[in-house]
Amino acid sequence: MKRRILGPVVAVAVVLALAACGSAKSNEGTNSGAGGKLVVWDWKSSDKNAQNFVAKAKADFAKKHPGVTVDFVAQPFDNYYTLLGAAIQAGKGPDVMLFNGGGQIRDRATALLPLDQYVAPDKDRLAGWDAFSKDGKIYAAPITLQGHPIYYNKTIYRKAGLDTEKPPATWDALLSGCATIKQAAGVPCFALGNKEGYGIQFWMSGMGSCILTPDEYDKWIAGTRDWNSPNVKKIFATWKEANDKGLNTAGPNSTAMFMDMYTKFEGGKAANVIGLMSDVGGWHEMNPILGANNLGVMACPVVTPGAVPSLAFDGGVGYGVAKWTKDPAVAADLVRSLTSTEALTAYATDAGAIASDKTVTIAGGGPAAAVIAAAIPSGKPALHVALSAKTQDVMGRVSQQLLSGSITVDAGMKQLAAADQAG
Amino acid sequence: MQSVRSAWAGRTDGTAVTSPRPLGEGQPASRRKRPGADRLAPYVLIAPAVLIIVVLRLWPLVLGVNFSFTGDGDRNGTPVGVSNYLELFRDPVFRIALRNVGLLVLLLPVAVAIPGLLATFIFLRVPGHRLFRSVYFFPAVLSPVIIGAIFNLLLSADGPLNALLGAVGLEPVDWLGEPKLAIFTVVAVHIWATFGMALVVFLAGFATLDTTLLDAARSDGASTPQVIWHVIIPGLSRTIQFVFVTTMIGMLTSMFGLLFVMTAGGPGGSTYLPEYYIWIQQGQMNRPALASAASTVLFLVMLVVGLAQVGLLRRSLRED
Repeated sequence: MKRRILGPVVAVAVVLALAACGSAKSNEGTNSGAGGKLVVWDWKSSDKNAQNFVAKAKADFAKKHPGVTVDFVAQPFDNYYTLLGAAIQAGKGPDVMLFNGGGQIRDRATALLPLDQYVAPDKDRLAGWDAFSKDGKIYAAPITLQGHPIYYNKTIYRKAGLDTEKPPATWDALLSGCATIKQAAGVPCFALGNKEGYGIQFWMSGMGSCILTPDEYDKWIAGTRDWNSPNVKKIFATWKEANDKGLNTAGPNSTAMFMDMYTKFEGGKAANVIGLMSDVGGWHEMNPILGANNLGVMACPVVTPGAVPSLAFDGGVGYGVAKWTKDPAVAADLVRSLTSTEALTAYATDAGAIASDKTVTIAGGGPAAAVIAAAIPSGKPALHVALSAKTQDVMGRVSQQLLSGSITVDAGMKQLAAADQAG
Repeated sequence: MQSVRSAWAGRTDGTAVTSPRPLGEGQPASRRKRPGADRLAPYVLIAPAVLIIVVLRLWPLVLGVNFSFTGDGDRNGTPVGVSNYLELFRDPVFRIALRNVGLLVLLLPVAVAIPGLLATFIFLRVPGHRLFRSVYFFPAVLSPVIIGAIFNLLLSADGPLNALLGAVGLEPVDWLGEPKLAIFTVVAVHIWATFGMALVVFLAGFATLDTTLLDAARSDGASTPQVIWHVIIPGLSRTIQFVFVTTMIGMLTSMFGLLFVMTAGGPGGSTYLPEYYIWIQQGQMNRPALASAASTVLFLVMLVVGLAQVGLLRRSLRED
């Protein structure tokens, strides 16, 4: 019997050893993208509210390349980057693909074609390029802007006797305002869902400009991040303080951000939420539920004297071109069609997004969208988008441990510093 | 084959004199060929099965292991030796994932005891046993995603269970939000969701129990606990071992859905299992080679556990 068990073990050991020796076959250089056909991967094109956008982009592209057909393949978002990873590994797949800005595209930049020479004419018309750039090269053209405004429910503020047009402007005012709201309206200040560890990202970017000084903020975005600085530590200390002082809805670690957190805010179970400004989790969804006139957007409350509140936003999602595509110029033309003013107007209107195109105005977004639009010119890139996917992952876990009290802020900062330096 | 041929030859014997001759000529030839053909035949017959296993199972396995010795991102395709493995074991989250595997093994007796005990009660015909038999099996037909969603609602911080606790004056518990508690909550839900299948296996085992032994024990005045301990458990030893093996496999391979829906690996990474880690590294972190290394480690863990269980089963079969 011993021998029978030993047999397979030896066999496996031999297989492993052989595999180790024959390691490292290069798998680059294969080609796809049949002539006359472009394949686009995204997670939006099958949505009803994206149909108009797709049709407009296709029509624009057909004018430039009448002989080339375009196939949109909508993948489920949960598995999007898993599928994309497999395609990248195989060195074949779609010619054009949709990316979230920041870490998701930067980590995969080696599989993408630099687009600088193709999108140069669009550079001034569109905003949000930074989130799709790495080492000075552009890898995708943005179609939306995504940011983290702090929404508030004016009905609850009114119930608590607070001025609905003058939400708390400092941290102390916020703390006392939240106490009033809890007493008068019986709900906490913030709806929070941190089950996936996204809550801290929204806190960092929604509150960041009020915690870091403008100089620290710009350095952070430029890549000089001092995790030992007292103000950076304050981002996490206030995160913990807010929870300890009962500012958050119950069980943030077991509440999903999408969509439980937003459902709580929209259901009047919390007075504020740090949300998004495009697609989901923002004014487009909240307006019909709360009433456009009852939804406000406030500047973050100043924590550090000298900090200047600004809206944190970046390029939201954008289309890039795979390195393996047959004719890069044609694929890049498709990207330009996807970011044409006509297509983006259709997308912004139907899906409720802030388009990357500065010439597209938001129609029918109510007061909330108007405040966001007004804040864009003075806005800055979001703090968390500058972090690598790995650091964001560690930050998610640290944030959960901070909420549950199983780690101190200092210990958390140490982990984050190590992750950021390694990544 | 020989008998068929002689019967045919016998039938034609009287009518045609010439026909057996070609057959007769052929026979020595085929007899000469047969040793080679006979030797080849079994290989040809098992070839499809072997090919499927080699091409679709072993070869990808080798490719995967091979891949785990290459780099990610900028170093895609270049050999990096064991650095992925070193990184794995330095990663606290992967260590948590392995520790959780150990925890599952430790919780295995509980996962087996619950259906065993309930099956015993049904077998002993407690009042309402017919109803319980179907009720207990019911969760086994639900998908983990549905079960996860149901328990997310039940266990949420402001959910019905905590409302119940509040009603009797207890503090609410964030069942899925406390790092020390969450893994036990998920395992408990997994056991609840899957014990129906083990229960059925136990009931089938009971059907093979020698009832005369039970009657004898009872007429000798044995109490119920004594009957369970001295008659039922020894009589069911093979069933118990089988349930152990299948429950272990179920725990190690089918918790992904529940984890994904209930905790997403959190809070603080406390509910990670290797499968979930592999999925995150491959899909979210864009680290396919590191994920391959983790898969290889998981494969080895499963191999050890599997072989230990095969050994256990084989020993028990020999006893019989």
